[in-house]
Amino acid sequence: MNTSKIKIIALLLVVMTIGFSFTTADKITIKGSDTMVILAQKWAEVYMSKNPNTAIQVTGGGSGVGLSALINGSTDIATSSRPLKTSELEKIKGRYGTLGVEVACAKDGITIYLNKANGVDELTLKQLADIYSGKITNWKQVGGADANIKLYGRENSSGTYVYFKDNVVKKDYALTCQSLPGTAAIVNAVKKDKFGIGYGGAAFDTGVKDCKIKKDANSPALVANEETIRNKTYPITRYLYMYLATKPTGANKKFIDWVLSAEGQKITTQVGYFPVR
Amino acid sequence: MMKKVILVLLILGINTINAQEIVNDTIKKTISIDSLKQAIDEHSMKFGDTEERLSTIESELAKLTKIKISGYIQAQYDMYDYQDDKGPVAGSSAQSPVTNSFYIRRARVKFAYETLDGIKFVIQPDFAVDKVSLKDAYVVLNDRWFMQTYSLTVGQFNRLNYDVEFTSNIREFLERARMTTTLYPNERDLGAKLEANFVNKYNFPLKLQLAIFNGNFGEGAIANQVRDVDSNKDVMARATYSFQFANKGLGVDVGAHGYFGSTKVLAQPVTNPVTPPAVFSDENNNPFTPNAGDTLKKDWFGVETQIYYDFLGGTSLKAEYISGTISGTTNAGQTYSAFGANKVRDFKGFYFSFTKNVGKIFQAAVRYDSFDPNSKLSGNDVTRADDLKYHTWTFAWQYFYDENVKIVFGYTMPINEKSDLVGGDYLSSNQDRKDNTFSIRLQARF
Repeated sequence: MNTSKIKIIALLLVVMTIGFSFTTADKITIKGSDTMVILAQKWAEVYMSKNPNTAIQVTGGGSGVGLSALINGSTDIATSSRPLKTSELEKIKGRYGTLGVEVACAKDGITIYLNKANGVDELTLKQLADIYSGKITNWKQVGGADANIKLYGRENSSGTYVYFKDNVVKKDYALTCQSLPGTAAIVNAVKKDKFGIGYGGAAFDTGVKDCKIKKDANSPALVANEETIRNKTYPITRYLYMYLATKPTGANKKFIDWVLSAEGQKITTQVGYFPVR
Repeated sequence: MMKKVILVLLILGINTINAQEIVNDTIKKTISIDSLKQAIDEHSMKFGDTEERLSTIESELAKLTKIKISGYIQAQYDMYDYQDDKGPVAGSSAQSPVTNSFYIRRARVKFAYETLDGIKFVIQPDFAVDKVSLKDAYVVLNDRWFMQTYSLTVGQFNRLNYDVEFTSNIREFLERARMTTTLYPNERDLGAKLEANFVNKYNFPLKLQLAIFNGNFGEGAIANQVRDVDSNKDVMARATYSFQFANKGLGVDVGAHGYFGSTKVLAQPVTNPVTPPAVFSDENNNPFTPNAGDTLKKDWFGVETQIYYDFLGGTSLKAEYISGTISGTTNAGQTYSAFGANKVRDFKGFYFSFTKNVGKIFQAAVRYDSFDPNSKLSGNDVTRADDLKYHTWTFAWQYFYDENVKIVFGYTMPINEKSDLVGGDYLSSNQDRKDNTFSIRLQARF
C-alpha cells in the first residue's frame, strides 16, 4: 500500500476520533447493586427534578453485573456494595488504561433478618458464620426453638453475597442456602418463614426482625443504626460505592459531586442507609 | 306508529331476558362455608404444586447458571506489502501474487463451569475453516481456607508472561510482539500451575506463580504435542506487584519471570558415510555435533512493567525485556516456524507500547518491539535469515462500536537487520525486506 493512502486513512481516523469524542449528551446510566437500587433511584429522581436537562437511567442486576457493564462500556457508573475485585481491576486496566475511579458514596450495615416469631434476638459473628457455612443447622444451637434453620442468601453476582462471604462466613456458603434474586425477595422469604434467616442492606428491613449482632460473646449486641454505623461499633459495616472507568467529567462529575454534597447525603438517611461523613 | 310499537316490544323483550338470567343465577347458586373451604384447599394445592414445580425449575436453572459461555470472532481484511508481492499466503508468488485477503483470525467459544467459588472448569476450542483446535482446557482449584489466596491449575493453559496472558480480545494490537510469539509458540502448554495472590486476604498486591510444563507445546506435529516428547519438564516462575496511587489516578505494575527448560536431542544417526549425524550450531555460530539424548540450553529471564495513568482519559505504557538462551532442532516432533533449526542461540528482545484512550469509544496505540534471535552476531556475521534481528513498529486504532463489537485498524511494519550474506529476498532488497501488513479487523464477542 502506498504512503499517500496510509496518510489519508490516518487523517480520517484522527478527524473521526476528535469529532466523535466531543459528541456527549447529559445522559447518565447507572447499573449494578440491587442493594443500592432504591438509593440510586432516589438520587436520580431528586437530581433530575433539580436538573431537568439531565436524564439518569438506573437499573439493578447486582454489583458484578454493573461492574461488567462498566468494563464493556455499557454504563457510565457502576454501583457496587463491595470493593472492586482484582480480576475486574485487571479488565479495567486492559480496556481503559486506568485503575477505575472509586467513589464511596454511602455506608450500610448488613442487617440479619429474622422472622418476627423467631425466639432468637441476637447472634455473634462466629455463630452467624457457622450458620451460613452449615456448621450450625438448628435454632436450638443458638438458643432458639428446636427447628432447622432455613438459609436465604443472594446469587453470586451480588456484592452483598461477596462481602458477606469474605467478611463474615469466610468460607463457602452451605449448599442448603437458597439463592434469591434480590434483597426484597430475601425479606419476603423470611417474613413468610418462621425459621428463616437472611441478610441484606439496612434499608430493606420492613416486616422482619433485625437480629442484634455481637462482635464476639463478650461484646454488646447491636443493630445497625446511624450511631452504631458512625462510631463503627456495628460489626458488619461497609461502604457502598460508585465506580467509573475514568475521572468523571461533565454531567457525571456534576452528579457525583451532588451525591457527595450534604443534600445528596441526606437522601442516604431517608432511604435507610447512612452518610459517608 | 307501527315502528315505535315494535321498538318498545323489542326493548321490553330484552329486559325480560336479562331479568330472567339474573333471577336464574341467584336462585341456582348457593354458597356454603364448606364449598368455599374446598375451593381454597383446591387452590392451595394448585399453588403448592406450582411452587414445587418452580423450585425444581429453579434448582435446574441454578445448575445452568453455573455454566458461562462466552466467545468472539475476529474477521479481518489484510493488505500485504511484501517483497515481490509474495505475501504470507501459501502459494503466493511474483507470478501470481496474493496482495490482499479476507481472513478469520480467531473464532473461539469459551465454556466455563463454576460448581462452587472454589472450583472452575474451562474449555476453549478455536474454530478454523479446516480444523477445530483446543486452546484451553484446565481445572482451577482455589483454596477454601485462605480466601482463595492459593490456587492450583492443571491442564492446558497460558504460559506465565504478561503479553501471553493479556487476552487477544481486549489487546490493543492485532498480534503479540515477535519476541513473545517466538519464545511462547501458541502461548499455551500442558502442565500444572500454583498461584498465590495475596491481595484478597492480606490486601497486599503481590502475585506469585510457579508452573511446570511439558515444554514442547506449539512445536512440531500436533500428534507430538498431545504428550511430552521427552521426560524433561520446563519450569516457569513469575512474580508481579502492583503499586496503586488511586488519588493520582496512577498505577504501576512491575514483574519478573524466568523460564528454566531444555531441548532434548531426540534422535541422531550413528556416524556413517551415508547418513552423517546432524550438525548443530552454538551461540557463536560454531558447529557442534550432539549425541541423541543430549540436552540443549533453553532458559531466560524477563522483566516487565505496565503503567496506567488517568490523564484526559486512560493512558498506558507497557514494556518488557527478556534475555537468555533458546535452542531448537529440526526434528519433526520439535520444529516450529519461529525457531526451527538445529541451533542454540543467545537472544535479547524487548517492546514498548503506548496506548491512549480518547473518550470511551476510541483507542490509539503504538508499539516498538525488537527481537534479536542471535545477539552474539550482527551485520555481515549473520549468515542465515532466521538469525536476523528485527525491529517492528505496530500501529493500532480501535473503535468500540458497542459493548460487543469493535473495529481495529492495524499496521505492522517489521524492519530487519541487514547482512550481505543472508541472500534471497534480503540480498535483492539490499535494505529492509518489504513485509508490511495493513489490516482491518471486526471483532464481535458475547
